[in-house]
Amino acid sequence: MSTSQIFVAGIAAEWMDNPTSAVNDEARQRAEDAALAALVDQYAGALYRVAFSVLRNQADAEDAVQEAFVRVLRHRDTLGEVRDHRVWLIRIVWNIVLDRKRRAKTRPETDDVADLARVLPLKGLSAEEHAAAAQHHAHVLACVDQLPAKERQVMMLSAFEELSSVEIAAVLEISESSVRSRLFRARNLMAGLLDHERSLR
Amino acid sequence: MNSNPHDPMASETTSDSISASVFTTAEETLRLIANLPAPDGLEDRVHAALNAMPRRSRVLTWPRALRAESGWMRGAAAAAIVFVVAGGGWGVYTRVESTQMEQNQPAKVIVMPPRMPSTGGLSGAGAMRPPLTLPGPAAPQPVKISPAKAAKGPVASHKTNSHSGHSAATGAPVAEPAASR
Repeated sequence: MSTSQIFVAGIAAEWMDNPTSAVNDEARQRAEDAALAALVDQYAGALYRVAFSVLRNQADAEDAVQEAFVRVLRHRDTLGEVRDHRVWLIRIVWNIVLDRKRRAKTRPETDDVADLARVLPLKGLSAEEHAAAAQHHAHVLACVDQLPAKERQVMMLSAFEELSSVEIAAVLEISESSVRSRLFRARNLMAGLLDHERSLR
Repeated sequence: MNSNPHDPMASETTSDSISASVFTTAEETLRLIANLPAPDGLEDRVHAALNAMPRRSRVLTWPRALRAESGWMRGAAAAAIVFVVAGGGWGVYTRVESTQMEQNQPAKVIVMPPRMPSTGGLSGAGAMRPPLTLPGPAAPQPVKISPAKAAKGPVASHKTNSHSGHSAATGAPVAEPAASR
């Protein structure tokens, strides 16, 4: 038997061995599905809040979360190489919502007020107080939107208590000292904007 | 002022120009937005969306020996390198062998055409002569005069020239003397 015949016979034996490899594939796929499902159960809420803080719309935020997990599904082979899944997922959804925000037309402030009034907790407030609170928060968010992009992004991410400055730096792919300096500038600018708005009233 | 334990600016002193109430108001709003609860059933909807995505399915799977993780590509690359190195060595060996075989044979002698001897004392500097078979241009041959005529001729002409009244420069025919009749 020549060498080529031995090689072909070996390949044929491997083809005959397909059931075993198929079982391995199915087992691996099941493991990847289980890992992805665990990620959804663990981080979907956090990703939604990150998405909502930028988009301020429930449906858009939910779409962004689904898109983020679809991207994870497409690249699930690399799940084992990720060190911190939480920061990795937040970075994915952060890029998605920034891209959507860039492409979307500017929403009028009245839409923000209506959306906020719908999602804000009542906490025993009357209807008038609830509406006034929604209007106040919408006004503050409008001032946040006037900040430069870099400072605005750092300020919004710093509002999430579960994100440290190191993790914010990892999400934005900047250094930790840049996070600190941008946050300092954002607070100064924000105070100036709110003081100016208050003096106009 | 800031209840966030991870806040990077918690230990830093803020500018005096910043109003504490304004600052707190802004951060309260942002924190309120950041802590809004996710809608009910969000995870279920995400699961449903992921399950609706098409899966990677193969009708025929690659045999284990041909998969990338089995390392066949590394073995093939190593075999290719060995083949190239061995082939190059064999090529050099066979070329040296044939050269040695040629050196054992008697040397080929190239017969040069014989050089024509030079007529003069100087050499021809290796210049080849044209073959003698070709007819060259015919050079005018000098007329050979017999020695008897050569001795008689000049006297007669001298006599003729002396009796005639013509100058030699005119070249006119000279009349024969009467005595020669």
